[in-house]
Amino acid sequence: MKTYIARRLLALIPVALVVATVAFVLIHLAPGDPASIIAGPDANPDDVARIQRQLGLDAPFHVQLFRWYGRLAQGDLGQSIFLRRPVLEAILDRAEPTILLTLYATLIAVALGVPAGVVAARHHDGATDQVLMAGALLGISIPNFLLGLLLILFFSVRLGWFPVAGYSPLEYGWFGTLRSLTLPAFALGVVQSALIARIARSAMLDVLREQFIVAGRAKGLGERAVVYKHALKNAMIPTVTVIGISLAILISGSVIVEQVFNIPGLGRLIISAVLRRDYPVIQGVVICIAGIYMLVNLAVDLSYVVFDPRVRYQ
Amino acid sequence: MSVLALPRPAEPVRRRALWLSRLVRRRATVVGLVVLAATTVVGILAPVIAGDPLRMDVAARLTAPGAAHWFGTDDVGRDVWSRVVYGARLSLLVGAAVVLLAFAVGLVCGLAAGYWRHLDNPVMRVMDGLMAFPAIILAIALMASLGPSVVNVIVAIGVVYAPRVARIVRGSVLVIRETTYVEAARALGVSDLVIVARHVLPNCLSPVIVQGSFVFAAAVLTEAALSFLGVGVPPYVPSWGNILAEGRLYLQQAPWLVLYPGAAIMLTIFGLNLLGDGLRDLLDPRLRGLVRERS
Repeated sequence: MKTYIARRLLALIPVALVVATVAFVLIHLAPGDPASIIAGPDANPDDVARIQRQLGLDAPFHVQLFRWYGRLAQGDLGQSIFLRRPVLEAILDRAEPTILLTLYATLIAVALGVPAGVVAARHHDGATDQVLMAGALLGISIPNFLLGLLLILFFSVRLGWFPVAGYSPLEYGWFGTLRSLTLPAFALGVVQSALIARIARSAMLDVLREQFIVAGRAKGLGERAVVYKHALKNAMIPTVTVIGISLAILISGSVIVEQVFNIPGLGRLIISAVLRRDYPVIQGVVICIAGIYMLVNLAVDLSYVVFDPRVRYQ
Repeated sequence: MSVLALPRPAEPVRRRALWLSRLVRRRATVVGLVVLAATTVVGILAPVIAGDPLRMDVAARLTAPGAAHWFGTDDVGRDVWSRVVYGARLSLLVGAAVVLLAFAVGLVCGLAAGYWRHLDNPVMRVMDGLMAFPAIILAIALMASLGPSVVNVIVAIGVVYAPRVARIVRGSVLVIRETTYVEAARALGVSDLVIVARHVLPNCLSPVIVQGSFVFAAAVLTEAALSFLGVGVPPYVPSWGNILAEGRLYLQQAPWLVLYPGAAIMLTIFGLNLLGDGLRDLLDPRLRGLVRERS
């Protein structure tokens, strides 16, 4: 197991290198160089050249690429052009709402999705199943930002239960934070719960056809024990995969939903950076989110061992 | 023996009919097809059934839906019905172009990586690297460097989804290249390129076709999301995402700016998902009945 984890971590290195390279190349594809953006529209060519030298932009492409690897290895994401501070600092400053929103949304997605899938599987092909699955299909058809707008329209504008937009940081008390993140978390979580419900249902149906379920029924176990004790445990394996994938999707989903609710998280950071062409910030946020995404996917793979003792890694 | 290399006997009519009747047997799939067809017709007929989506009438700004403006008007007095209809056109264009681009790149890379083993590592590492990014983040980063335009949106979303197609194709090719009919073709001296084009490609298409409607749906969604965020198509282009982005600012005074384009997005994606489920049940026997337990 330990060697397996070590091997998987080592296997991340080439992928991480490709990710770093893609992030670097992306920015260098861009028309117009950062130096002239920093210097402003009225700058003379000498100033631009001076800034280029300062930033090392006059070096050949491969030299810049290796410098970029070197800086990344030291955890240095560079300086923001507009914020005039280190990119890493800006990212850490904005991480709180994004992380909380992602976790809150995952909680909602699991709490709605898993029971819906299990119930649908139990009433397989009945009316409950069809209604739940039609709902799930509708759920995966609605974009999270649209659901967010509809939630604001109904719960904030009509009913006035929640703030229309904005974020109350944790330091002002957890209740305000929870309240400001509830609608965005539902906008993200409901959509994702539809996906989880579909997978949980098909996993349950597969397990319910297995021999050991027949055996359980034959020896007179109650339906409850069969479904919740024996079947559910086994159906969790594919379900956990999709929950992990959901967590990863929700990180990037929160980038969009933050824009709907005016939440100052990583999403707002990268979008304003794109509009201002603040390339170091774009690079930094992209690298950070891709890094988290890779680690979450690894954690999902490793979690199989916990949920399924039959899976043994060499 | 010789049968292996002979072209398949032609009986397209019966095959097509069976194909279609299986697809149409499920009501849900038919609903999906109808929704998609309706969107396509609306998109094609846009110049006939809608007015100029760019004409501003500031005197009539933020008018509620009524006889003059079925879906109301926006903050500069543009007709929302016209903008939603032209938005359908854009969504379909982006969806179709992304599917073509992602399939072209994905098929070439997947076939190359799966069939020529020495290409596997370099090609698939690049694909893994691209897939290590969440889709929307990679699309945003690409748009940041390409700049806002319709073509760039298509390129960005195509680049995001091509690796996903490539991975599926490679998986199928790895199985197909070991089959006896490929071995037989090789023994007969057929060149690798012909084997790939005539024997491998047709046999790895069905899981890819299943992906087609899901990639289409993802492309429509991603375009709307990018435009909504302000990094997609330029703001004057009528796109569902753009209308929603304006609507967000006038949520209280003019909810129709959100409701109508929102309904259009939902209906289109819903139709594509229904169709995708139907295609999957039809073409992917391993999954048949897994997602929906109906025979």
